[in-house]
Amino acid sequence: MSDVILSTNGLTKKFGAFSANSEIDFFVREGELRAVIGPNGAGKTTFFNLLAGIMPATSGEIRFKGAEITRLPGPERVARGIAKAFQTASIYPDDTVFQNARLGALARVQGMFAPEFLKPSRRLGKVDEIANEALALVDLVSLGGERAGDLSHGDKKRLDIALALATQPTILLLDEPVAGMSIEEVHKTDRLIRGLAKRMTVLIIEHDMDLIMGISDSITVLHQGKVLAEGTPAEIRSNQTVQEAYLGGHVQDALATPTPTPTPTPTPEAKP
Amino acid sequence: MKQVGFYGLTALGLVLFPFAIHPIGGYPGLATQILIVGIAAIGFNLLLGYAGLLSYGQAMFYGVGSYVALLTVQRFFPQWPSIWLSLLVAIAFVSVMALIIGLLTVRLYGIYFALLTLAFAQMFYFIVFQWKSLTRGDDGLQVVTNATLQLGFTSVDLTRTFPDFDLGPFGNLHDVHYWYAFAAIITLVVLAFMRALIRSQFGEILAAIRENEERSTFVGFDPLRYKVAAFTIAGMLTGLSGGLKGLYEASTGVDTLSIDMSGSFVIFAVVGGIKTLFGPLVGTGLIMYLQNVVSGNPVFGNGWRLIEGLIFVAVIVFLPGGLLGSFKKKRAHAALANAVRVSPVEGRP
Repeated sequence: MSDVILSTNGLTKKFGAFSANSEIDFFVREGELRAVIGPNGAGKTTFFNLLAGIMPATSGEIRFKGAEITRLPGPERVARGIAKAFQTASIYPDDTVFQNARLGALARVQGMFAPEFLKPSRRLGKVDEIANEALALVDLVSLGGERAGDLSHGDKKRLDIALALATQPTILLLDEPVAGMSIEEVHKTDRLIRGLAKRMTVLIIEHDMDLIMGISDSITVLHQGKVLAEGTPAEIRSNQTVQEAYLGGHVQDALATPTPTPTPTPTPEAKP
Repeated sequence: MKQVGFYGLTALGLVLFPFAIHPIGGYPGLATQILIVGIAAIGFNLLLGYAGLLSYGQAMFYGVGSYVALLTVQRFFPQWPSIWLSLLVAIAFVSVMALIIGLLTVRLYGIYFALLTLAFAQMFYFIVFQWKSLTRGDDGLQVVTNATLQLGFTSVDLTRTFPDFDLGPFGNLHDVHYWYAFAAIITLVVLAFMRALIRSQFGEILAAIRENEERSTFVGFDPLRYKVAAFTIAGMLTGLSGGLKGLYEASTGVDTLSIDMSGSFVIFAVVGGIKTLFGPLVGTGLIMYLQNVVSGNPVFGNGWRLIEGLIFVAVIVFLPGGLLGSFKKKRAHAALANAVRVSPVEGRP
C-alpha cells in the first residue's frame, strides 16, 4: 500500500448555524483515483474548497504529504502540489489556449510572487515546455492558437484541467469534470481522467455514476456534510445505507444498473 | 530592431513636440508640463489598464511628491540644492506611502476601492492644508533658490534656455528651457520602463489576475502581492511626476492633492487610451493643450470643466478604447468596460 498523501481530521465548515461539512475524517493514498459523491447539498464542493484553500475551515485539520496545511492560503497549496479544476470552467477567455496553459506553467516556475519585474516573459523557456506538456495531456495542442473564450464547452473544461496540470500537481481535484458534456465528450474526458490517474492522485466529484463506477479505485459518499460510506465501487453499489440515503431511494436505478443514464444537463426540458 | 525603433521614434517625437505645438497655440513650457504630468498618467495606466484598479486618489502621491521635493531643497537639505536628491527623497517617500496605502486598499474591488483611495487622498489633502508650519497651508510653497542638476563633471541650471535659433512657424529654439530636455529624457526612461514592465512576466501575471483572479489564485499566484506591487509602482511614478512638477515650477500648492487632480489622471489615461503605452501621455497632452487654448478664450474660458467633461463622455461613448486604444483590434473596445473589477470572480452570481 502506498502512503497517505492527503488526509483530513474532524474537518468542519459552518456557514452560520449550518454545517456544510461536519467532522470529516478522510484520507487518500498516493496514486489513488478517489471519487467523492453524494446528493446535491451533501457538501462535496465545500469539501473540495476547503482542501484547495478557497475557503477557510471552521475547525479540524488538513494534512498534505505529512504537513499540516489547514491555514495555508490557496496559492501556497498550489505550490505544494494541490491543483483544482473548477465546476464552471475558470479560464482566461481573452487569451489564447496556449497563453492560458502558459500562465499555469508560469506559476509553477515563478511561484506566488516573483519580484523580477522587468524579466521578459519570453525568456522563461521552460514555461513553454510545461505549458505544451499540459495541453498535450488534455489533447488541446492543436487548438493552442484559438481564443479560449471561443472554445466549446467541453474544450473549455479540458483547458481548465490543463491550467491545473500546468502547475505540475501531485494531487488533482476535479469538480464535476463532465457536467453538461455530450456523451462523446464524456467518453473523451473518461479516457483523459484514466490517463491522469496513472500520473498523479486524482480526487473527483461527479454525478455521472457510469463514469464514477467505471474509473474510481474507491468512493467516498458524503451525505448532509458527513461521510456516509467509503469503499470500492462494488461495495458502494451494494451498500444498503448508501442506497437508502442517496438520491432518496431511487438508488437502484442510479447505482445498480449500468445503463447509460443521461448526463445532467442545464436545460430543464432534457430532464425526465 | 524593435527596440531601436521604439527608442528612435519616441526620442524623435519628444524632440519635435515643443515645436510642433507652437503653430497651434502651444508653447515649450506647456510641453514640459505635459510630459511631467503625463508621467503620472502613465503610472495610473498601470493601475487601471493592467491591474484593473480604479484609483481615485492618485493626486495624493502627486501632491505629496511635489511638497516633499520642494521641502527637501528648502528645509531638509538646503545645503545640497540638488534635483537628484530632491527627486530621490520624493520618490522614496511616496513609494513607502503607496506601499502602505496599497496594503490597506487593494483587497477591495471596483467602487469600494475607488472610494477608499479617494478617502485617503482627502485625508492627505487636509493634512497638507492644516500643517501650516511645514506646508504653509493655503499659500503653498515657493522656492527661491533653484535646485541644480548635478552631472558629475558639471552642474546644469535647468532654467537656462537653448541658443537663439529661428525655426519659422515652429517658434525659436531659444524658447525651450533645459527643463524640457530633462523632462523629455525622464519621460523616455519612464516609457521604456513601462514597456519592459508590461512585457515582463510581471505584466503578464498582472493582466491575468485582472482577467480572472480566481483562476490566477488557484494556479498559484498571490493576487494581493501583485496588486500592491502595481499600486506601489504607480505611486512611485506619480511621486516622480509630482516632484518634477514642484521643482519645475519652483512652487506647489494644496490643489495638487485635490479631487480634481485625481480625476484629471483618470481622464487623461482614459481619453488617451488605457492598456496602451503612449495613450496616457497623448491624453494628457490633448487635454492640457485644449485646457490651455480654451482657458485663454474670453467666451469659453470659464467653461473649461464643462468642455473637459464633454470630451470625457464623448470618448467613453464613441471611442471606448481611448484615442490610441481604438486603433487596436477586437479587445480594445472591451478594455475600459473590463478594466474595473467589481468582484474577484467575474460574471458569477
